[in-house]
Amino acid sequence: MSVDHPHALESRLVSTGVERLTLLGKHAEALMAGYARDEVPLEGLSTTALNRLLAARILWRPDEQGGVKLAPKVRELIAEMLADESRRHVNADVAETLELLRSLVQSYREARDGGEYWRQEQQLLRLRQEVDDLNGRFADAIDSLWRRLNGDFGFVSRLGDKIRENQRAQKQIVRLLDGLALIDFDELIELVGSDGALRKLLVSGLQQQLTQHYTSLREVQRRLVELMARFRQQQSRSRLVAGMAGFLREHPGFVPGNYARRGEVPALVNRAAPLVAAGAAALDHHPDSRVLGELLHRLPRPAPRPQPVTAAGAAAPQEDTLVAARQQALKEDVERFYLAVVDGGEGLSALEFLQQGEYEWSEEIWLFQVIAEFQGLPRSEQRAFRLSQQESQASRYNHVRLIHDVTLQLA
Amino acid sequence: MSEHTPMERSMVEFGPLLERLLAGEFICAVSDEGAFRRLQDEETRERIDAYLRPLNRRLASNDEGSVYFLAWRVLDEAAREQLSRQLGETVASLLPLLEWLQLVQEALGRDGPAAPGEVLKPADFSSRCEDNQGLRERLERLATDPFFGSQSDQLDAQLKQVFKRLKEHGYLLQPHADRQYYLVTAKIDYLIDLARFIRDEENLPVDDQAPSGQESLL
Repeated sequence: MSVDHPHALESRLVSTGVERLTLLGKHAEALMAGYARDEVPLEGLSTTALNRLLAARILWRPDEQGGVKLAPKVRELIAEMLADESRRHVNADVAETLELLRSLVQSYREARDGGEYWRQEQQLLRLRQEVDDLNGRFADAIDSLWRRLNGDFGFVSRLGDKIRENQRAQKQIVRLLDGLALIDFDELIELVGSDGALRKLLVSGLQQQLTQHYTSLREVQRRLVELMARFRQQQSRSRLVAGMAGFLREHPGFVPGNYARRGEVPALVNRAAPLVAAGAAALDHHPDSRVLGELLHRLPRPAPRPQPVTAAGAAAPQEDTLVAARQQALKEDVERFYLAVVDGGEGLSALEFLQQGEYEWSEEIWLFQVIAEFQGLPRSEQRAFRLSQQESQASRYNHVRLIHDVTLQLA
Repeated sequence: MSEHTPMERSMVEFGPLLERLLAGEFICAVSDEGAFRRLQDEETRERIDAYLRPLNRRLASNDEGSVYFLAWRVLDEAAREQLSRQLGETVASLLPLLEWLQLVQEALGRDGPAAPGEVLKPADFSSRCEDNQGLRERLERLATDPFFGSQSDQLDAQLKQVFKRLKEHGYLLQPHADRQYYLVTAKIDYLIDLARFIRDEENLPVDDQAPSGQESLL
């Protein structure tokens, strides 16, 4: 009778379990609606069905007036099944499992010493399940971390959120590693004593698995830190780009210092002028003359080109020619301004000259070219002029100066 | 062949690379992966520097070392003139280029400005701009900026011109002349470094760090 009793208990547990698992499938749609939304919609559920789901702790009612929600464990189960990274939980609690393992080992030993084989078997089974659960928790956590990492945290859309999610993942790793550190194999060795089955389960098997988890966690951690550096760089770049573009839009007259005139020219500014490595056919090398002769013979004869081809060919460079022509016109107008100063012998405002001469240039482009022309003059000629800038400080927080006009006079 | 010194012979393999560098190109892992890898080697860099000495040039790179170009070895008056002019041109192109980077980031919903190695397709922009009038207007303004210089009022022609100019300036690379996709080169890194440099030198009120309060709130 005492032997039958546990069997009866077991079969009752199994039949109730099957009944309740069936509830999950039967009401899958309502449950998934509850997963996606805040509450489980009650329209499709009968009172009996609702009561059964509540009794099975699949659903719960946080307060009497409020709606019915998914139980946290069910939500976790669905998140795990879907690998839904935005809702997946990482369970790093090792301390309680260790506590449970210790007490199960004690019961196992008592059963063994008392010769109760069935109970001994049951305890060993529970131990195995707990060890598997512990392993499974680490494996699930690592899987979830890898998925988030490989997807670049794509389940959130904004960079700020990705950075926060990455920080959260790094904290989870720290908790998991702390949990691993709690497992003291010296203690486990002592706990299992000379029992071969326990030793295999709690010492050799577990140690091997945990070493793997530890290596994986360290690897994910390294990769998360790398990814974080990339996120941070992207964030800093995007702020810099937006900030500088905003500043330049607000201060159209902004001209930075001429770094090329400094004693020490900054490395970024020092870019040598392009040089074309030109080559031409030469006849001073005798063996080449035959090759050149052959090439000459093979040249296609100039044929009268059909009209449309000429028209199409000319269309493309026209744009560049136009830009260049405008640039040249601007340069010539600015030279006229310089000549006016030389002829008049007195200082002239660049903007007044622009307005009086009825030139079409915008003030900004005009001032820029007047200054550029001055900077482009050879040193000796520069000394003949004095260019004074009428400027004001852009803000009291920095040293940016806005140029409103320039006056050119003979030195 | 016996008339060549060992030095000349060993430089032959660098011929195409030297030619590109001398022409003013920026060499990075995207624009020429093989050459870039060889430039990582210090001994190779020293040999190239020695070769360039009579031309008053030397190899230079940005701080990260993601892109190489040639710098003047000795700065004489003519070199300074050229650098002043070049700086003026670069500064004038800064706003349109930064605005383009912003536009790419927003139009394609990316996390950061275009980074080296990223693929950009004009077709992606035209579909985004067709759906979004705001983007369309910004692209229009950008394309008609003197730096890009589009004369057209057609979206596709404007995009074509923008990509063409970016390619000419070495910010984009078109792997196949007949296929409309482009790779971002590390010259973008250089541009961003330069923007940061100007910000620092001129003490501009532009912050690139996230406000520290944001994270401590969590």
